Amino acid sequence: MSISISRDETFIQEYEEAIKTPSQLADWQLFKQSYQIAETMKVPSFKDLVAPKFLPHLEFLPHQLECAEKVIQHMNGRALLADEVGLGKTIEAGLILKEYMLRGLVQKVLILVPASLVNQWALELNQKFLIPAVTSGKRVDWQNTNILISTLDTAKSVRHRQTILEQDYDFVIVDEAHKLKNHKTKNFQFVQQLSKKYCLLLTATPVQNKLTDIFNLISLLKPGYLGTYEDFIKQYKEQKRKVDEDPYLKQLISKVMVRNRRSDTGVHWTKREIETIWVPFTDQELETYHQVEQFFKHNTAISSITYVREFCSSREACYLSIKKWIQQQETINLPEVKGLLAAIEQLPHHAKALKLVELIKSSDEKFIVFTEYRATQIYLQWLLQQEKIPAVIYRGGFKKGKKDWMRQLFQNHAQVMIATEAAGEGINLQFCHRLINYDLPWNPMRLEQRIGRIHRFGQENDVKIYNFALKNTVDEQVMNLLYNKIQLFENVIGHLEQILSDLNLPNIEREVEQIFEESKSVGESKIKLDNLTSVIQSYQQDNEAKEHLL
Amino acid sequence: MITNLNDFLHQYFTIHDCEVITESNTEMTIRLTRELDQVLMNRPFYWHYMDKIGRAGEPMSLYLDTSTEKKDNNKEWIHFGSPRLQQIFHHIKQNARFTILYEETNGESKTPLHPWLVTNIMVHYRGKQKKESIHSIGLQLINGIMKANMMKHMDEFTMDLRMSDYSFTISPIIKPVSGLRRIFNYLENFLLEEDMQWVEESKKALSEEIQLLNYFFHQQEENKEILEKEKERLTERLEPRIEIEFINAGLFYLTEKSSQIIIKRDYEAGTKE
Repeated sequence: MSISISRDETFIQEYEEAIKTPSQLADWQLFKQSYQIAETMKVPSFKDLVAPKFLPHLEFLPHQLECAEKVIQHMNGRALLADEVGLGKTIEAGLILKEYMLRGLVQKVLILVPASLVNQWALELNQKFLIPAVTSGKRVDWQNTNILISTLDTAKSVRHRQTILEQDYDFVIVDEAHKLKNHKTKNFQFVQQLSKKYCLLLTATPVQNKLTDIFNLISLLKPGYLGTYEDFIKQYKEQKRKVDEDPYLKQLISKVMVRNRRSDTGVHWTKREIETIWVPFTDQELETYHQVEQFFKHNTAISSITYVREFCSSREACYLSIKKWIQQQETINLPEVKGLLAAIEQLPHHAKALKLVELIKSSDEKFIVFTEYRATQIYLQWLLQQEKIPAVIYRGGFKKGKKDWMRQLFQNHAQVMIATEAAGEGINLQFCHRLINYDLPWNPMRLEQRIGRIHRFGQENDVKIYNFALKNTVDEQVMNLLYNKIQLFENVIGHLEQILSDLNLPNIEREVEQIFEESKSVGESKIKLDNLTSVIQSYQQDNEAKEHLL
Repeated sequence: MITNLNDFLHQYFTIHDCEVITESNTEMTIRLTRELDQVLMNRPFYWHYMDKIGRAGEPMSLYLDTSTEKKDNNKEWIHFGSPRLQQIFHHIKQNARFTILYEETNGESKTPLHPWLVTNIMVHYRGKQKKESIHSIGLQLINGIMKANMMKHMDEFTMDLRMSDYSFTISPIIKPVSGLRRIFNYLENFLLEEDMQWVEESKKALSEEIQLLNYFFHQQEENKEILEKEKERLTERLEPRIEIEFINAGLFYLTEKSSQIIIKRDYEAGTKE
């Protein structure tokens, strides 16, 4: 067996030079120390991971270590990581990257992640893995930065595309790789063209349900492994086969994909306990609620749903938005509007807000409160202040420094954080284990993102979630028909995004709004909502059945 | 092997003339010298400015804790993965590549010192996976005797950058540079005798993947460039090869007695050659 052996010839030249200059000579202790360092840092075997030894502050879970070993030893560093949501794919990717760096195989790295996760990745790599990763800011230097985190959109943009394609990367990571499932898209072609040695694609959606999706992703990692696109389509489409019906294909895929499920990690997951808190409006409030509803029903051009929703959140939210509406009107029945505004103004409180105060006062725990409206956020902050409950606010639009500061204030001083947006920035609030959905978003994805802030990896306590809903209002319908039915609170809905896009329902919030707008009666909206959730539910069950087969 | 990081660091800072205050088994405070401040504290402008206004400048102190777990103190936690230790390691490696050392004698009688070439070498095995091995090889430059585990042999001797009084050196017959080549040749032959299964496996994996690659792109004229690039990177990733890299090397002058001890002694366990 022949093998190429290369010698360090430059060392000989350097040696000749150095021994002529006494100042370059090392003393005996230092000479020994250098040898000791090499002995300590060497990678003694092809097999065992060395990275955990260098990261004593991290505790890896068994499935994460197994994943890294599998990817490095059996997949030669090109793999699809498709763990279920919340099992720590970022940790697995970080561990694999660190291992390759320690083995001296990787220097230049490109990490492409969704915009909302860029900072989160940078934080995790730097703080947890001690990997000096940089985010692509305004003046990004693709050539001279070793480890860069960017978004797919930035990287493939006309401004940067060419420079990036000229680089030779040792390691490329693409998070949310389901964006690469179609080989005709710019995203796919861009990643295909990247010059890369090792490559990880991360996704939480079960791509294996769609044959062409999995084909395309694998063709980025191991072109030709599943044949050409034409072969593949012919073979599987004609026979109308699915991945789970074909043990041979399943076997093939398992050699390039790691997919852990919560149930087989053997890790104890803290529970999430859900409680719906039904709040009745006072008679006066309920009357005003109907007044708002009627008012906008009469102005037929526009739907009342936005305003009654806001009214369910706070007087302020509704009031401000009606004022805005008035400004946009050319002709208006002034006495009627004034009457409406006066009715809102006269309300002393808001039933939900009082309930919130009562709940928080009954406990010493920290609470994170989510609301959909900024006006409500400000009102709640004022109200809590009156009650001497220390609270901070949090918005997606805050600058990074302010976000970190608010998080710290919440951790160390405040009892309550009132937030409007959860998704924007991936802040971790594991120290908190009580969450209040003061009002419900009509998009279940947003809800999961909210819960995910506290019920995630590293949460050591059971998590308690309170959902506020007003009796006899639109709140009640959404709660009963949309949420309880698809059991959103109980399940981690990692698949929902996929389900909604498969069902061609990318904007579920809009769907629900439309149902309310177009229905002439409460009964009609109930039936329509029921239909919508049934579709999601049946698809969900279908998918679960498939998943279990695989 | 570094078995006690605390001792290792203590030694490092002492070698570099820093004042080290030991506070506990794991905690230490180091008053840096200007030299180490410049190496470790990353504040070139400060020193530039001090030089410009003609002031001496004040080196900083380091407060380190070598515990295996991070403690809640105001010390900097230093461990094998920490950037600070990497920085120190780097500094040592850069400055300990070459040396000429003389064995210490009592300085009372005329003592001839025999030349040895001492080399420490890292071998990188790169294929589907990667591993490393370290070889410490000594070559007596008069008679050409070669010894493995040289650093282990050297452990008991005290070496110095200056020659003791009344010692004198015997000139090498084998020139150090050709000695280095001899060691290369010897090591190469040794490596070729090793188990080559990993080479076979890597070659097999590489050729399989290249076949798949060719097949995948065979009807895609427009993607020829991608194919070529993929092939190139694939080869880089999987092709088996060995790289021999020097950690450091030096000319060591040893007494006749020490030379003989080394030549006669054999380390059975762990002897590679």
